[in-house]
Amino acid sequence: MAEPTPQPTFLQRHEFLLRRLHSLSGLIPVGAYMCVHLFVNASLLNSPASYQDAVYQIHSLGKLLPVVEWGFIFLPILFHAIFGVVIMFGGLPNTANYRYAANYRYMLQRATGVIAFLFIFYHVFHMHGWFHSEWWLENVARPLGGARFAPYNAGSSLAEAYGGFIPVIYAVGVAACVYHLANGIWTMGITWGVWTTPAGQRRATVVCGVFGVLLLAVAAASWMGPMRTNAKKAREIEDKMYRAKVAAGELDPAEASHKRAGHERVGKGDGERASTK
Amino acid sequence: MAETHTSSATPESFEVRILRQDGPGQASYWERHRVQYEPQMNVISVLQKIAAQATTADGRSVSPVVWDCNCLEEICGACTMVINGRVRQACSALVDNLLRYENPTEIRLEPMSKFPVIRDLMVDRSRLFRALEKVRAWVPVDGYYDLGPGPRISPKVQEQAYPLSKCMSCGCCLEACPQYTKVELTQEPGESDEAFEARKKAAYDQAFIGAHAISQAMLFNMHPTGKHEAAERLDQLTAPGGIQICGNAQNCVAVCPKEIPLTTSIGRAGRAATLHVLRKWFDG
Repeated sequence: MAEPTPQPTFLQRHEFLLRRLHSLSGLIPVGAYMCVHLFVNASLLNSPASYQDAVYQIHSLGKLLPVVEWGFIFLPILFHAIFGVVIMFGGLPNTANYRYAANYRYMLQRATGVIAFLFIFYHVFHMHGWFHSEWWLENVARPLGGARFAPYNAGSSLAEAYGGFIPVIYAVGVAACVYHLANGIWTMGITWGVWTTPAGQRRATVVCGVFGVLLLAVAAASWMGPMRTNAKKAREIEDKMYRAKVAAGELDPAEASHKRAGHERVGKGDGERASTK
Repeated sequence: MAETHTSSATPESFEVRILRQDGPGQASYWERHRVQYEPQMNVISVLQKIAAQATTADGRSVSPVVWDCNCLEEICGACTMVINGRVRQACSALVDNLLRYENPTEIRLEPMSKFPVIRDLMVDRSRLFRALEKVRAWVPVDGYYDLGPGPRISPKVQEQAYPLSKCMSCGCCLEACPQYTKVELTQEPGESDEAFEARKKAAYDQAFIGAHAISQAMLFNMHPTGKHEAAERLDQLTAPGGIQICGNAQNCVAVCPKEIPLTTSIGRAGRAATLHVLRKWFDG
């Protein structure tokens, strides 16, 4: 009847490494990427041209862009999110009986993690449609209100996508992400053993709090950008910038067409032109 | 002052609601008892009265409520239970304070929820002690010859070590920890006691060791002789169920009756674990 002791699972055998990778991935690259993202989007508040310039900078990576996106953004976020859910199910929040500030922060860290998970999935669908297959974009993503972002008409396509209750979703989602990062840096400092004493942890709370408030200000700026943007005027500027890029030979219209707003018309025309060459 | 308080605010009697359980793995149920008020009672004396009455508030004769206790001065940890939803020792939970500050009419008693119940308010805390074994929470001095006098410990280290040495293994930090979840196994029919013990030990070793064991590992890693086993302790802190499970809710330090700086120990253990793993990878 002596049962063999159960063999530890993969998750158990590598628990320490996986938890530390989860902790690290939240800051590098996921958190760092989010800061860059918020700053780039805040540039729209300055002018559609500033924002368009930043987007061209990012897209100047060309064929390398998907590699960077998958290696440094999508895969780390997926790992952090999915393993985060695994971690969450290992705990039992008890703020009803133990009403301490740190315990509420523990619970909020999990709540904002779930909100961030759902929001980021929605956000990537809303802006990029999840998959770049033409059939998927035409028949599924766009009819459902997704894939609204056009990189070469960046500001105007954002402004057009920002209707109705969508700004509310973005306000809640981005605020959750900012809290999750600021509080996550605080817990990370204990996890890796950077701040250990109560006094040290109090100072770290102040630093992380100030960081969170500043990042929230950047997030608020990026949130207001599309609302303050006149889509029509922005599009004229963007199209002017696009034509200048094409004239300078920096962009190939045949390859660039799908990155422009209203690409069906432009795309087909460009495609024909390309094929007759 | 006690007289003015008792004459004005306290009732003739008060109700005690107890979450009872007749044996391991059985269903629990609430039972109400009424106890005559006396000045300066603690929860242990309330339980003694309830055992003497062995009658519920509605007059039913019942078996006495079982609980665990020993020192009655908050240094052994045996009488730890959940009182009014908050974990603490029954001996140092004073009825006057409970009625005055928490609930004027009722005291609620539950067994700790993170350990298997043996009966009523008595739980099996062997997982707590297994975790201390796992991290070798002792100074290795056994041998066949005289090791001579121990090395000197600087006052600075003494000051750091003393608060950690006050741990009485009561389990408050584990009960309040959202990351420490209950592990309860039942003996299979035909399973020998030894086989059941081995199975429990294996299950405990996979689950979170808890703040008390992390803090004790730091205490003995600080000790000049205990240090000799520092690497073995850190191996255990980074093994499955180790320090990585901590979610930094910091309830442990908030509920510790001995005010042990548990989160400082956790931070130090986190740093030591980081360096230990790097050393193992790159110096090994």
